[in-house]
Amino acid sequence: MRTLFTPSRAALLIFFVAAALLPFFVDPRGHLLRVAAMVLLFAAMAQSWNIVGGLANQISLGHAGFFGLGAYTSTLLFLKLGISPWIGMFAGAVVAGGAAVLLSIPTFRLKGHYFALATLAFAEVLRVIANSWADFTGGPVGLSIPFMGSQPAYFAFRAVSSYYWVILGLLAAVCLAFHLLASGALGYRLRAVRENENAAEVAGVNTFRVKLIASVISAALTAICGTVFAQFTFFFDPDSIFSLAGLSVRMAMIAIVGGLGTLGGPILGALFLIPLEETANAFLSSKAAGLSQFVFGVILIAAILIQPRGLMAWWPKPRRRRAEASRPAVAAPAAKGA
Amino acid sequence: MTAVLQAEGVSVTFGGLKAVDGVSFTLNAGEIVGLIGPNGAGKTTLFNALVGLQPLTSGAVRLGGETISGLKPHKVAAKGMTKTFQNAALFPDMSVLENVTTAALLRHDLKGARIKAERVLDTLGLGPIADADVQDLTFPQKALVEMARALATEPRVLLLDEVMAALTPSEMDEVMKVIRTLRDEGLALLVVEHHMRAIMALCDRLLAVNFGRLLAQGRPSEVAADPQVIEAYLGHGAAGQEGAHA
Repeated sequence: MRTLFTPSRAALLIFFVAAALLPFFVDPRGHLLRVAAMVLLFAAMAQSWNIVGGLANQISLGHAGFFGLGAYTSTLLFLKLGISPWIGMFAGAVVAGGAAVLLSIPTFRLKGHYFALATLAFAEVLRVIANSWADFTGGPVGLSIPFMGSQPAYFAFRAVSSYYWVILGLLAAVCLAFHLLASGALGYRLRAVRENENAAEVAGVNTFRVKLIASVISAALTAICGTVFAQFTFFFDPDSIFSLAGLSVRMAMIAIVGGLGTLGGPILGALFLIPLEETANAFLSSKAAGLSQFVFGVILIAAILIQPRGLMAWWPKPRRRRAEASRPAVAAPAAKGA
Repeated sequence: MTAVLQAEGVSVTFGGLKAVDGVSFTLNAGEIVGLIGPNGAGKTTLFNALVGLQPLTSGAVRLGGETISGLKPHKVAAKGMTKTFQNAALFPDMSVLENVTTAALLRHDLKGARIKAERVLDTLGLGPIADADVQDLTFPQKALVEMARALATEPRVLLLDEVMAALTPSEMDEVMKVIRTLRDEGLALLVVEHHMRAIMALCDRLLAVNFGRLLAQGRPSEVAADPQVIEAYLGHGAAGQEGAHA
């Protein structure tokens, strides 16, 4: 029914190969590679968010909460117990998954804006807790990961390119997870929930369970991104790791601008938005206070106005056998008498 | 005949309004029962109450002798009862096959669900449009896909909410043929329809409701001649004249 190499898959493959080769062509210690790593990390975060926000259309503005839980769990496990962040990463995923279950029980009955606000409050609560519970979390000062040189077993590298490749691997894994979910039984059910929840229930879909599974997976993957971010930046504090504007909104924004619920959307969105923001900052932040954010905001609004369905909407649809399908659709059996 | 579906004193109250008021009836396997009544009589609310979309204020619903009232719709579907939606509530961003496959996932894995969905589509003559977007479909096609999706859950009881609205007479005949075939295969069908011609031609029995209450039930000709039913449809004073004709 489907060929193995559709244009979309070829484009994706080219992207990953090009991304994997990038460190050989740019200054390994330069700013560009760090920006590229952030593009990939934000693509992975937006893809994780996309599982709930795109497939189920539950617009979460609290994913920074899961991100921060991942960063705090792995970093605290390492600082207090000496556990490798590679293991802490999965511990963080479990903690975030558990938090997603707790958050889901009261919030899934909420729709649209109410759901978004409830998730927003969730991340804010975590930020306040992290700020005030200083004995355990380090408080507003944040946490630093001590420089250890090259210790691959402890997720510590000397070269930026090593982190870069880890992040690229993470993005590949998250994209694969998204693809498997979207094209599997859960994907059918999630799309059904997104498009008509009552009809989905009546058609036998356990809508609560489906949304719960999706948000646990989404939260766990986001937490893993949090650990990787912490290792990559060596430092974070409650206000940055639970940031509404910097993380929660940005994840949603990247997925929305790129194309909600599509595999390529978060990648395109991150490729577009992160460099744009960097460029705006680099060229405009010295000109006038707030100018770079203003320009960034204007471009963002323009992008949404010009193509509300996201950048992926311009990509030729890898749709089913449409050419064949469209003709009989006009002269189907039931319409014969018409 | 054995009753697959039993409704016992089903009531749904919205605030002070009794949308469904103590409705009791049974539905047998291999039977088509029509549910008639003027707009706002409570037909759709009764359907929603039966499948679990609308909690009952009082009463009970039994499917195959087992109480199902209070269960969520997906549980009710798993027990063997589902409904179609008025104005076809298909999943708009999915193809016809995907719509039906989603429902077939209730009893099959993804591979099996696709096979099941294709089979259901073929029986309804929808095979050629399996890959079409549901947004591109005509009204009758949407109605049939809605039925296909419901059938893919493999129900014992199917509630059809105005599947023939907006159809031409000849399209209606096509759909009625499908419904009769389903009945002959042992399915129990409860049908809401406004076209009296279709209702009279199709149904083995009728239930007439108004203001949420069951006015009459019995053979179509009896119910159609019932003075209360005629009054509900045509207003006060019409009953005497119509009764004289009957």
